[in-house]
Amino acid sequence: MLELLNVTKEFSGIRVVDRVSFRAEAGEITGYLGPNGSGKSTTMKMITGLIESTSGKILFDSEPIHKNPIAYKQRLGYVPEEPHLYPHLSGLEFLSMVALLRNLPRRGAAERIDGLLRLFSLHADRHAVLSSYSKGMRQKVILSAALLHNPDLILLDEPFSGLDVASALILRSLIQELAARGKVILFSSHELETVERVCSHIVIVHRGKLVADDSIEHLRALMALPTLEAIFAELAVEQDTAAISRQIADLIQA
Amino acid sequence: MRKLQFRILYREFLFRLVDRDVLSVSAQGDASRLLGQLAALLILLSIPFAFPIIHLGNSRLAHDKLLVTAWGVEHALIATTMLIVGLFAVLSWDSAYPDRRDVLVLAPLPIRASTIFLAKVAALAVTLSLTIILFNAASFLVLPLAFAPPDATPMDLLLSIATYRLMAAFWITMFASGAFILCCTLAVQGISGQLPRRFYLKGSAFLQLGAFCLFLIGYFLEPSLSSPNALTATGNQAMLMWLPSYWFLGLFQQLNGSISEPARPILITLATRAWLALGISIATTGLAFLLSYFRTLRKIVEQPDVVPTSGRRHWLPPVGNTIATAITHFSIRTLFRSRQHRVLLAFYLGLGFATVVLFLETPIAQEFSGASGNHLWHQPTLPLLASSFVMMFAWLAGIRVVFRIPLELRANWSFRIAQVRPAVEYFAATRRAAYVFALAPVWILSVALFLCLWPWYQALEHVTVLLLLGTILVELWLAGFHIIPFACSYLPGKTNLHIAFLLCLMLALNVILWSAEFERKALSDPHRFAWMIAVLTTAAFLASWRRATAVKGAELRYQEEMPPVITSLKI
Repeated sequence: MLELLNVTKEFSGIRVVDRVSFRAEAGEITGYLGPNGSGKSTTMKMITGLIESTSGKILFDSEPIHKNPIAYKQRLGYVPEEPHLYPHLSGLEFLSMVALLRNLPRRGAAERIDGLLRLFSLHADRHAVLSSYSKGMRQKVILSAALLHNPDLILLDEPFSGLDVASALILRSLIQELAARGKVILFSSHELETVERVCSHIVIVHRGKLVADDSIEHLRALMALPTLEAIFAELAVEQDTAAISRQIADLIQA
Repeated sequence: MRKLQFRILYREFLFRLVDRDVLSVSAQGDASRLLGQLAALLILLSIPFAFPIIHLGNSRLAHDKLLVTAWGVEHALIATTMLIVGLFAVLSWDSAYPDRRDVLVLAPLPIRASTIFLAKVAALAVTLSLTIILFNAASFLVLPLAFAPPDATPMDLLLSIATYRLMAAFWITMFASGAFILCCTLAVQGISGQLPRRFYLKGSAFLQLGAFCLFLIGYFLEPSLSSPNALTATGNQAMLMWLPSYWFLGLFQQLNGSISEPARPILITLATRAWLALGISIATTGLAFLLSYFRTLRKIVEQPDVVPTSGRRHWLPPVGNTIATAITHFSIRTLFRSRQHRVLLAFYLGLGFATVVLFLETPIAQEFSGASGNHLWHQPTLPLLASSFVMMFAWLAGIRVVFRIPLELRANWSFRIAQVRPAVEYFAATRRAAYVFALAPVWILSVALFLCLWPWYQALEHVTVLLLLGTILVELWLAGFHIIPFACSYLPGKTNLHIAFLLCLMLALNVILWSAEFERKALSDPHRFAWMIAVLTTAAFLASWRRATAVKGAELRYQEEMPPVITSLKI
């Protein structure tokens, strides 16, 4: 179980994440939602240990993640928001490097990499350098790198970004399959329709603060709103979207 | 509208051409300050070239004799101008022609290709002019004084047509020689750009490296032929036809009217060659520019920047444990595939090679060794011993610098997330990579070379010394190196190419010569040699112990920290 307790992050005195607390249980897919600049990716980075929180605690299986970061990282799989990869390495070389860095047995890792490349339809391009990959292909490489070591905690920050329809459908099923096998999955996305279909538990942040932490069904019933989109708009969208779009159209026409 | 677009693009391209690590840290993003930094650096470089001209002026030679004696200095100025412009062209390799960034950013905007083209040409022309004017500024100021008759007053000088002819000849020659070398580099680049893009991308990196080595080697290996006897010698005629700096020496004499017998025919031939070469290079560059703007702009967008390759050729053997293997393979692939890193390493190797040439191919070498010809190579002479030290230092220094410069910094999350072993294992892996890169290549080459040249026991003795010395240097370097190669952020401006660097270089050369002399004596004295090996082994152990202590408890760094800024309150 992943647990955040009053986690706060400040950059140069500006509070980006403000006392956020929630739990993500094993076997459950937790959707982490919020508008741009609400602190989603910062929270994700704090959970991975890439940046440190200003205050608060992040626990995984009741252990603070900074107590034994090496053991924690062995159980962590992460798909970052932006697919930044080493452009001069091929897909195969990058995955092999990650496997070596994760200290996976060579033969087993090679078989696993080969399998992932085939299943993600990257096998034919495995020797091409990553700079020639499309965004979707890079995303698949990152997904493969995140799953290579069979992690217990999987953090997905916009995992559908750039994926084609078939790959997105595969990923959606894969996320559900992994959750069914007892993984803790924290999933951040702006695609509310996908989140609504995949996630059982929703956490919504707005301006760094937690505004909702519940199951979708319960939220629907509580707020008497039919869809997640409507719930999200109610909790995290302050502007009158129709009015703003009208103003933009007027402005460019003026 | 077009004028405004031109001005904006011109400033952007100019800044991109001039933006270099040695300058940009002080400029802090300010284009005018950056140009100021460049100007200061070039003026500083120009000052030492003014001294020989002043010395000539004080020599009280007859005017005719003075003109001929000055050929050497004039040739040095021309050759150095060509080298500086050439190096500038190599370092700005991708800036002169439109690249992917230009096309993707500018193509959707309502800007004509001709505006982009003109802005690039203007930026190039301004950079070239600034480089040439500033580098020759000091020499130009003293040149008319040096050539003036001893009793001439300043007014005589101002009223003399010869003064103005000298000035015009000087600037025309310098601009022509600089333009020639720049146009040659651009023409090669532009013509190779007409190849299918995947071939161009592969070949361009090698062309850049080749041009870099050619300029450096050409400059340092060029024989001195700046005297009437050398210029007219039958044996030198064929060689002179292939040395562009002498073509422009001929051009200068032709423009200045200082051609005299017996070198008149050859100087006229050389001058004609200079005019022809300049014309051809400018025409070819113009054509290459036109082709690149009208043919390759679309290709850049349509074709990927890197092509798929066969995987079998990319297999690498394991190097120790999994982390050492990952880091060493990553380092090998980065160094072999990153043009920026290769060029930087080539710069250090070029410096080392130039020093070696100085030691081995000049009269200084003969003086140092007391040997000549084959004897210089087949016994442990001072120049040969010092050369092996210099190449090891140059290679090591180059590897040290390139290891620090990241490639795609934003991708280093993959190392951070996958750091599943204690930091000390990563330091050990980096150490292994450092030995594989920084020590092994030079040492193995030295073993092969010295075993071929010297008796085996002397060769073994020297390579043992080299190994110990290399070990000490690698261990000292690694004591403060708490990063994974190519994966940590780098704060620009650490090249330290300033006077302190040059002074340290001079000092290091003296230390190398002293060490080589010490080793030469030790190679013929077993007691002295044993003592030297004992001292070096102890030093290697101490350096290794110091490194081990320094890395104990240290954390892996992925971001270089800014030095603390101390603000004085001036109370």
